[in-house]
Amino acid sequence: MGSKTILNVRFHEKIGNLIFGPPCTFGKRGCSTAFRWYSQCGGYLQCYYSDRLSQWNGQHRNVLNIKSMLNQYIASATTTTTLRNYATMNTHQPGPMPDYQVDPYRLLEDDLKDVYSYIKNALRRNTYQRDLYEIATYYFDGNGKALRPMVAILMARAMNFHMYNENSTLLPSQREVAMISEMIHTASLVHDDVIDQSDFRRGKPSVNVMWNHKQVTMAGDFILAIASMMIARLKNNDVTLVLSQVVSDLVQGEFMQLGSKETENERFAHYLTKTYRKTASLMANSIKSVALLAGADENLSELAYQYGRNLGLGFQLVDDLLDFVSNSEMMGKPTAADLKLGLATAPVLFACEKYPELNPMIMRRFQEPGDVEKAFELVHKSKGLEQTQFLAKQHCTEAMRIANQLKESPFQKGLIVTADYVLNRMK
Amino acid sequence: MSLSKLVLPLKYSKNCRKMFQIPNMINATRHLSVSKVHFAKLAQEKKPDWNRAVSEAEKIVGYPTSFLSLRWLLSDEIANVALHLRKLVGSNHPLLKTAKGLLYNGKNNMQAWGLIVLLISKAAGHSADIPDMEQDKAAGVLHSQRALAEVTEMMRTSHLVHKGLVNLQPPNNIDANGDMMFGNKIALLSGDYLLSNCCIELANLRNQDVVELMSSAVRDLAEAEFVGPRDKENNPLPARPKNVQQEYTQFTDNNLEPLIVSEALGNAHAEWTLRHVLNAGSLLGKSCQGTLKLAGHSEELQKKGYLFGKHLALAWQACLDREPFQPGSSGPFSLVCAPLMFTLQNKPELYEHIEKGLENVEEIDYHLLRKEVLEGPGLETTKKLQKEHSQAALKVLNELPPSDARTALANIIAAVQES
Repeated sequence: MGSKTILNVRFHEKIGNLIFGPPCTFGKRGCSTAFRWYSQCGGYLQCYYSDRLSQWNGQHRNVLNIKSMLNQYIASATTTTTLRNYATMNTHQPGPMPDYQVDPYRLLEDDLKDVYSYIKNALRRNTYQRDLYEIATYYFDGNGKALRPMVAILMARAMNFHMYNENSTLLPSQREVAMISEMIHTASLVHDDVIDQSDFRRGKPSVNVMWNHKQVTMAGDFILAIASMMIARLKNNDVTLVLSQVVSDLVQGEFMQLGSKETENERFAHYLTKTYRKTASLMANSIKSVALLAGADENLSELAYQYGRNLGLGFQLVDDLLDFVSNSEMMGKPTAADLKLGLATAPVLFACEKYPELNPMIMRRFQEPGDVEKAFELVHKSKGLEQTQFLAKQHCTEAMRIANQLKESPFQKGLIVTADYVLNRMK
Repeated sequence: MSLSKLVLPLKYSKNCRKMFQIPNMINATRHLSVSKVHFAKLAQEKKPDWNRAVSEAEKIVGYPTSFLSLRWLLSDEIANVALHLRKLVGSNHPLLKTAKGLLYNGKNNMQAWGLIVLLISKAAGHSADIPDMEQDKAAGVLHSQRALAEVTEMMRTSHLVHKGLVNLQPPNNIDANGDMMFGNKIALLSGDYLLSNCCIELANLRNQDVVELMSSAVRDLAEAEFVGPRDKENNPLPARPKNVQQEYTQFTDNNLEPLIVSEALGNAHAEWTLRHVLNAGSLLGKSCQGTLKLAGHSEELQKKGYLFGKHLALAWQACLDREPFQPGSSGPFSLVCAPLMFTLQNKPELYEHIEKGLENVEEIDYHLLRKEVLEGPGLETTKKLQKEHSQAALKVLNELPPSDARTALANIIAAVQES
């Protein structure tokens, strides 16, 4: 343990100074950035020297990948300026992207620019009532990341290229699935807002603050109904089945969030299943759908599915991590929100190992005065954040590994960059 | 709502225990069917014709419409909800009222909806080239049609449950101890759970036309909650009556299109029809249409199926609307019920009393409105309206070949008509 700690500290210093200069020069925001970098790098080493963590999902092969990534990190971290140049996306933390410098958002600019107006039109065609239209389109204002449609189109194009080479093009049905994935996501956001009574989302008052809750609920049902009609119009039995599973997973995930488990092991499995159902299922299955529409066989569609599943899990783990380290201004929603809602996410569950006093707090859902603050503090004192980062890293690396099995194309590269972006994003 | 289903079999816990020992689902539901007939008998003194018509019809299609009750009992989610729901007992969250209403409100019983879908399926039969595997020979319907009947019930229940949320939009500060927020959470999730089951069941039909049709019924249900003025709990108020009555002809051939709302508002007949087509007629009509589609019937017959369901739902609604004004009844009534809307049309100056409820419908003087309705022509017009719709439904029915299922449907229509 002792030598590991020393190594960690040395490594932190080295990388931290290389990238950010001496720590004292940062403001508040810089600190959290640096912190994330530190924890990330610490995470690699930890994983390399101790495989205790990888036992519970048994992905030992990632250790190798991570080792090579680590070398890349050190090799590429020569000067601060080159590093910053690698960061092409606006929301991207300065991060190394050796070899591939594709910005998937720029790559798909033409495909993505009409996503929101297309969805709005689909909703407009289905009602003559202004109130309903306004509530239903409130979150389709173009301020979202549109991550789900982006990834779906990226996979669609990568898959088409893989199967049909250069003369492939995006199918209208694939584009449609991309829109549908965003609609299903938004319908669930709208209902989540009523359930959680949140105040802000995407930097504006959330929908439950603006309108009558019964109408908001109905608007959620409305979006789902329209999405469901769009799915039916694709006239593909398998795609309908795959996407209906998403809706079911979303609801079951939400149910899982109501309950908690007694023992630590159960709790973590419960958390991972919930995360799959609430987040990863939508990505995995919409990506699988575009592969099916391309005519992919079982192996290829499973590959697509696994890419989406790992990306989705990584995405949510990072989300749960950011809830502890970001400030609300950047996230567009308040921080420590999960704790305030009584939810124990990965960082807390990890922290539990070192601070068992978190257990009773988890069981009472952080309801007693001071619970939230105490838990927040303990999580930061523990290794919970590094461990979460490490787990997210594992899933994103796995997603990259899967994407590498597709034929090389800008879109395939985009899939790899996306996995990197999901891991290193700041919001 | 799930809980109603949960409570019903539990009442007959002896039967329940038997049920769980029998692995065969069909046998198990037959036990349930027995308990349900007992239940029907308990309430029979009040509404003999209705209950007889329904329980006889249930026998014709084999066993009561759904084994939802069983499936729900056995599902983790609902067991979870049941635990949570106990916390709500003692609060006055309307979810409890919704659950109770689904249990005891004989005529509004959603189970009758699935039953109608099954009866029309049986009455119309199915094309000869459907393989035996897909048929439920004993009941005379297809397995897919039974699944669709379940979907109908689930969609309706989900809508009722979502409608029963409490508005907690800030700054409404009525929720001191969090009961209402918790009740809302449970209600929203239960409704969503039903909807997600609908998605799965529909996808398994492997018939994309039916998926689209039924999804459009969910859209219509959602649209219904936005028609006309609303108080802060989203209770509907009638629109201000228009002086000039325009003929309203917006029910197009293609029922996948949304309905135009604004033109109907203020025209009592059109507004009532629009509200209740969105709210009920669309779902029952589209379910009947869908079930005929599954059986491989012609487009023309499918359309008639839609009309049958729509008219039956409207006749039903007109009947329900008249009930609070029958001799001996008192209690609240809906502000968009046909008798009141026709009365308003006839005496527009009464609208000032309606306007008092724009903030909260409880501010309205129901006593005065009831008196006006009883004195005006509204009840008579509603009766006529109900008859028109009953007859339109009967007309479609008579085009089908005679069968026990057809007779059962005719009996149900007659039971609606006579009360």
